[in-house]
Amino acid sequence: MKLQEYTSSRHNFEECMKCTVCTAYCPVLQANPLYPGPKQAGPDGERLRLKAPYFFNQALKYCLNCKRCEVACPSGVNVADLIQSARIKYDTTPPKLRDRMLASTDFMGSLARPVAPVVNAVTGLGVTKTVLDATLKIDRHREFPKYSSRSFERWLKRRRKEQTVFPEQVAYFHGCYVNYNYPQLGKDLVKVLNALGVGVQLLEKEKCCGIALITNGMSGQARKNANHNVAQLRQAVLDKGLKVLTTSSTCALTIRDEYPNLLGVDNADVRESVLLATRFIFEKLEKGASLKFKSGYHRKIAYHTPCHLERMGWGIFSEKLLQMIPGVEFTLLDSNCCGISGTYGFKKENYEVSQAIGEPLFAQIRSVNPEVVACDCETCKWQIEMSTGYTVMNPISILAEAIED
Amino acid sequence: MNANEFDVIIIGGGITGAGTQRDCAMRGLRTLLIERSDIATGATGRNHGLLHSGARYAVNDPESAQECIRENMILRRIASHCIDETDGLFITLPEDDLAYQQTFVDACRNAGISAEIIDPDLARRMEPSVNPDLIGAVKVPDGSVDPFRLCAANMLDAKMHGGQVRLHTEVTGFIKEGDTIKGVHTRNRQTGEEVDYYAPVTVNACGIWGQHIAEMAGVKVGMFPAKGALLIFAHRVNNLVINRCRKPSNADILVPGDTVCIIGTTSTRIPFEECDTVAVTPDEVTLLITEGAKLAPSLSSTRILRAYAGVRPLVSADDDPTGRNISRGIVCLDHETRDGLKGFITITGGKLMTYRLMAEIATDAVCRKLGVEKACQTADIPLPGSEEQSYEAVAQKIWESPTTAQKAAAARMGTRAARIRTGDKRDDALICECEEVSVGEIKAAIDRLEVSTLTDLRRRTRVGMGTCQGEFCACRAAGLLVKAHGCVERERADLEDFLQERWKGNFPIGWGDTLREAEYTQWVYKLVLGL
Amino acid sequence: MRFDTVIIGGGLTGMLAGITLQKAGQKTAIISTGQNALHFFSGSFESIKEPSQRIVELFAEAGVRLHYSPGVRLLPLGTFKESALALEDVDIFPTPKFARKVLIVNFSGYHDFFTSFLADGLEKQGMTCRLRFLSLPELETLQQSPSEMRSVQIARVMDRVWEKVVQEVRVLLKDEDAVVLPQVFGLQDTSVPGRIRQGIPAHVVFAGTLPPSVPGIRTLILLKQRYQLLGGTYLMGDEVIRAHTHEGVVHSVATRNLDNHYIEAANFILSTGGYFSKGLISNPFQVLEPVFGLDVEYKEDRNQWYNPTFKEDQPYMHFGVKADENLHALKDGKPLENLFVAGSILGGNRPEFGFAAGQCIKTALFAADQILKK
Repeated sequence: MKLQEYTSSRHNFEECMKCTVCTAYCPVLQANPLYPGPKQAGPDGERLRLKAPYFFNQALKYCLNCKRCEVACPSGVNVADLIQSARIKYDTTPPKLRDRMLASTDFMGSLARPVAPVVNAVTGLGVTKTVLDATLKIDRHREFPKYSSRSFERWLKRRRKEQTVFPEQVAYFHGCYVNYNYPQLGKDLVKVLNALGVGVQLLEKEKCCGIALITNGMSGQARKNANHNVAQLRQAVLDKGLKVLTTSSTCALTIRDEYPNLLGVDNADVRESVLLATRFIFEKLEKGASLKFKSGYHRKIAYHTPCHLERMGWGIFSEKLLQMIPGVEFTLLDSNCCGISGTYGFKKENYEVSQAIGEPLFAQIRSVNPEVVACDCETCKWQIEMSTGYTVMNPISILAEAIED
Repeated sequence: MNANEFDVIIIGGGITGAGTQRDCAMRGLRTLLIERSDIATGATGRNHGLLHSGARYAVNDPESAQECIRENMILRRIASHCIDETDGLFITLPEDDLAYQQTFVDACRNAGISAEIIDPDLARRMEPSVNPDLIGAVKVPDGSVDPFRLCAANMLDAKMHGGQVRLHTEVTGFIKEGDTIKGVHTRNRQTGEEVDYYAPVTVNACGIWGQHIAEMAGVKVGMFPAKGALLIFAHRVNNLVINRCRKPSNADILVPGDTVCIIGTTSTRIPFEECDTVAVTPDEVTLLITEGAKLAPSLSSTRILRAYAGVRPLVSADDDPTGRNISRGIVCLDHETRDGLKGFITITGGKLMTYRLMAEIATDAVCRKLGVEKACQTADIPLPGSEEQSYEAVAQKIWESPTTAQKAAAARMGTRAARIRTGDKRDDALICECEEVSVGEIKAAIDRLEVSTLTDLRRRTRVGMGTCQGEFCACRAAGLLVKAHGCVERERADLEDFLQERWKGNFPIGWGDTLREAEYTQWVYKLVLGL
Repeated sequence: MRFDTVIIGGGLTGMLAGITLQKAGQKTAIISTGQNALHFFSGSFESIKEPSQRIVELFAEAGVRLHYSPGVRLLPLGTFKESALALEDVDIFPTPKFARKVLIVNFSGYHDFFTSFLADGLEKQGMTCRLRFLSLPELETLQQSPSEMRSVQIARVMDRVWEKVVQEVRVLLKDEDAVVLPQVFGLQDTSVPGRIRQGIPAHVVFAGTLPPSVPGIRTLILLKQRYQLLGGTYLMGDEVIRAHTHEGVVHSVATRNLDNHYIEAANFILSTGGYFSKGLISNPFQVLEPVFGLDVEYKEDRNQWYNPTFKEDQPYMHFGVKADENLHALKDGKPLENLFVAGSILGGNRPEFGFAAGQCIKTALFAADQILKK
C-alpha cells in the first residue's frame, strides 16, 4: 500500500473545506440562534470533541437530522451523521419521560391499539392537550396521530393465502405508522402491487425502525431494534430472495443508512434490497409492466420531497410515478423542510422553530393550491395537514386511487 | 533613571528568554526583552510540543532525563493551561528488540521516571490508534505542551512584574565601554525606529542565533545547527503520546497537541547560514509518513495539515572548539570569567522542557553580577492563566453552561478566559471557526500579549491553525488588527505575509484535501477578495 | 432511467449546458455531488471580454440580468479588477474613481465585509470615505449566534427588511455621491437590489463579502428553477461512482444513491470542476479524473505543481482533463465519442475558452452545441 495514496482523508470530516455551503441550507439555523449550525456542530466541533468529550455541546440536540447539510455539501461530508453520532457518543443526559414516550412508537402503538377509540378521543381533547403541554411539554398545537383499532399486520395476515398466489413476492416493512395509525396506506400498497402481479408478505416480526429512538437519545434500544430488523431482513432477502419495500421514506433511510452509519449495525448484505415502494414500482413499469388507470381521473397534485428522501436521492421515483398517472396535474414543490422532523416538532420547546422552518413550504402550498399534497413521509403529512389544512397523501395511495379497482 | 535603562536586557523571545525575563522580573529586576521577530519563532515553536517525561533520554543521557522529569512535574503545577497531561507509551514493534524494554524501564526508574510495562492488549485499548502489531508497551508520564502559550504566559507574567518587551526589534550592535557591555543598539523592523537601551547585564538567549549575537559582542560561542522536520496532521489521531521503545531515531514520536497531532522528527546537520531558511524536503515528508504510520497506521490516510522544520540549538562543549563533543545539556556562559567580557551572559543548549531551569540558572548568574540575593520562585508560583488546574473548572466558573467556543477559550487561556466574558454579545462572534477563537479572545491578545501581526496573533490564539489554515479567519482578524494599529497598508502586507507563511507549510504536503483547500484559498483571496 | 444527455456536475457549466439542451427539446438529467462554486461567485465573468447576445439572453430567460460595460469592478479588499460582463447588481465603472465622496455602510458585528480595506482602496483613487455601522433590531437574533452572522443569513433577513436599510442610509447620507453596501441583498427577492438603488439618492455600489456569495446563490436558484421548468431532472446530492464504457462509447453511469439503477444516455457531459469539487483528485504521486479515469495534463514531478510564493500563479491550478478540439474527453489518448468535458475540469488546457466563470459558460455552450449538431 502506498502511503497517502488515498486522494482524500479516510476521516470523512477532514474533507470539510470550511466552505460554509452547509450553513446556507440548514433550516434550523434560520429559526433558532441557539443551534451552532451544521459546520460548527459537525466537522468543526468534531476536532475539538476528539480532543476531549468535554467539548461536546448540548445544543446539538437542536439538529433536526434532516440531512440537508449532507445533500448540499460539495465535499461529501456526512455532516448530520457526525452530529447525531456525537450525540450518541457524548450526550450522557438520560432521555426525559416525554422523549421516551414519543420515541417508543411501536410500544405506544401496541398499548393504544386495543383501546383506540378511547385514546383517540382523549388525545383529541383540549384538556388532554393542555395537560400534556404542561406536564410533558408536548406542544398543545399538535394533533396526535389517531390510532386504528385493527392493526395492518392483522389485516394482511388474514389475507396471507390470497397473497401467495401471485407469481412474484415482496416483503413489506410497514412501519409503526401503517400498522397502528393508518393501515389504509398498507392496503393501498397491496392493491397496487397486486395489480402488478406482485404478492405482499410480512416480515416474520418487524420492530420499529428506531429513528425516533436515535433522535431521542435512546440509541441502545435503537441498536437492539436494528439488530432484530436486520436479522429479519436477512431472512426475507437472503433466505427467501425477496425485496423488502417500505412506504415511509424515513424507515427506508434509517434501515439503509442510519443502521450502519449511526448505530454501527452492518447491513451490507441486505441494504440494496430495501427499497421505497415507489422505486420498486417505477422500476417494474420501466421494465414493461403496466397499470390500468381509471379514465377521467383528475388530481391537481403538489409533491413535497421529504428531507430523508432527498438525502436518499429517490424523490425522482415518486415524482416520475405521479407524473405517469393520466389526469395528474403535477407541481414539484421547492426543496424545503416541513419542520416537524419526526418527534422534534412535537416538543413544546421546538414548536415555534418547527413552524418557522416549515413556513416557506406552507406558503408555497397555499399559493399552488393543489387538491392534495403528495409526500412519502408520515410526519411531514401531520405537519403539513396541521399547518395548512391541505390533505396529504402518500404517492402509493394516489396510485391506488388512480388505478382501476 | 532614564526610561531606556534597565537592570537586565534579555535578547531573544524564545522560551528561554521569556522564562529568564519572568524569573528576573519576579526577583525584582527591571527587565527588557528584545526579540527580532515574534516570541517563540525559533526552536521554541518548531518542535513537537512534547512534555517529555525524560524517558527518551533515560538510557543514553540520565542527567537530561532527571532534569526532564523534575521540570515535567513543575510545569504540571505552574503551567497547567499550557499542558495536556496525556501520558505516553513507548511501544515495541515486531522489528524492534524486546530486550531493550527492560534496559529502558530500568534506566527510567533510575532517573526517577515512573515507567510501567503494560500488556499490549491494554495499550491497544488505552490508545486505539496505536499500531496493533505492537509486542510491548511501557507507560510513562509524557504529555504535551503548547510552546506558544507557555512563552506568552512567561512574557505576560514578566510584564505583570514590570518587565518591558520589544518585539520585532533587532539588536544591531552592543554599547561597549572597554571590556564591559553597557547596552544595545536596536532597530524596530516594522517602523525602522532606532533606540539604545542600557543595562549592567545583558543575557544572550537567542538559541541557535546566539552564535551571531555573541560574535557581535566580540566573543565566540560555537553552535551546531541540526534541522528537524515535522508534520502536523489535521486532527488528533492519538490521545497518548506514542514513542518507539528503542534507541532514539527519526520520526519516532507522535504527540497529540490541542486539536492536531505531530509526528517528528528528523535530524540533519545544516550550515549556520541556512538557519533562517530551513525547508522540509520531499524525502523528509516521505520518511515522516512512513515511520509515523508505524506508530499509528491511520496516519497513512489522515489529512496532513502542514510540514515545518526547526533548528536545534546544540552547543559544542566549551573545552572542545572542534564541535565534535556536542552537549544537549544546559550551557550557561559567563563571558566575564570565560572571555573577560563583563556584563554579558549566554544561556543556551537545553530544551523546551528545561527552559525554567535554564532561566533559573541564567537569573542566578545575573543576580550574582548585580549583587541581588533573592530566591527563585518560578517553580512554585503558577503562570498567569494557570491558577486553576483544569480548563473544565475554569469554564464552569466563568460561564453557567459554556458553549464549545467558550470551553475552547478556557482551554487556551486558562483563568484569563474570564477577560472575554465582556457582556457584549458581539465579542462572542467567532473569527476563527476551526479553532473557535472569538473576537473577545483576539481583543484580549491584542490588548495584553504584544500582537502586531496576524502571525503573532496566530501564536497567541491559534487563529488560522485549524484545517482551513486561515482561509476565512485571516481577513476577518486583519479587520480587527486594522482597528488596533490603524494602518490598512501595513495590514494588507501582513495579510499577504500570513497567507504566504501558511502556504509555506502547506505546499510540501500539497495533495488530496490539502490541495483542495489550497485551491479554495486561492479562489477566495485572488478571485473573490482581490488581495 | 434513460435520458438524451446526462450531465455530471451541476454547477454553472452543468446548468447552462442543461438549459441549452432542454431548450432544444432534449431530455436531460444533471447529477451533482452537492452545491457548487456559484456559492463563491464574484458576480462577474472576468474572462469574457466581448459582448455576447446569446449569453445575456440565456441568463435573462432564467431571470438573471447581466450587463455588458467594459471597465473595472470593485473587489472586497478595496482593489479594482478589469471586467466587462457582470450581474446587474455588480457595478463595472469606466474608471476606478467612481465617485467623489463615498459612504461605506456595514452592519454592526459583521466581520465578513472589509470596510477599512475598502475605504483605503477608494481613498487611494482619490475618493473621500466615511464609515458607518447599522444596528438593526431584526439582526439581533442572528447576532446571538457566534458563527452565523454570515452573508446568506443576513440576506434572508434583508429580503424582508431592506426598506429599513434604505431609511437608515438616507439618514446617514450627507453630501456623498456614492454608498457602498455589502452584497447581502436580493437572495430570494431579486428586485431588492434595484429597489435599494431607487430608494437611496446616491449611486449604490454592492461590494463583495466572504462566501457564501449572495448574488451567486441567487443566480444558482434562478438557473436551477429555469432548468427544472424546462423539464430537466436535477439529482442533487448524488455522485457518479462508476461509468460503463464500451469501445469508446459511454453507455451508462451508476450513482451512489441509485446503486444498481443505472442512468443511461446517448451523450454525457462531464463538468465536475477542479480539485475543490473533486473533478480532479490528487495524491502524492499523480492527478486523476475519478469518474472515467480520463487523461489528465499534469506535471509528473510534484515539485513542479506549486509555486512556493502564495500570490504567484500556481501551476497545479492549470492541470486539467485532456480533450480534443470538439471537447470530446480523451482516455488513453483516444476520444470518447459521446463524452464531452466542460468547465474548470479542463484547467488551463484550453485557454481559448477563458478561465473561471467565463470558461464555464463558453465550454458549456460549446459542448451543448456539439451534442445538438450530432
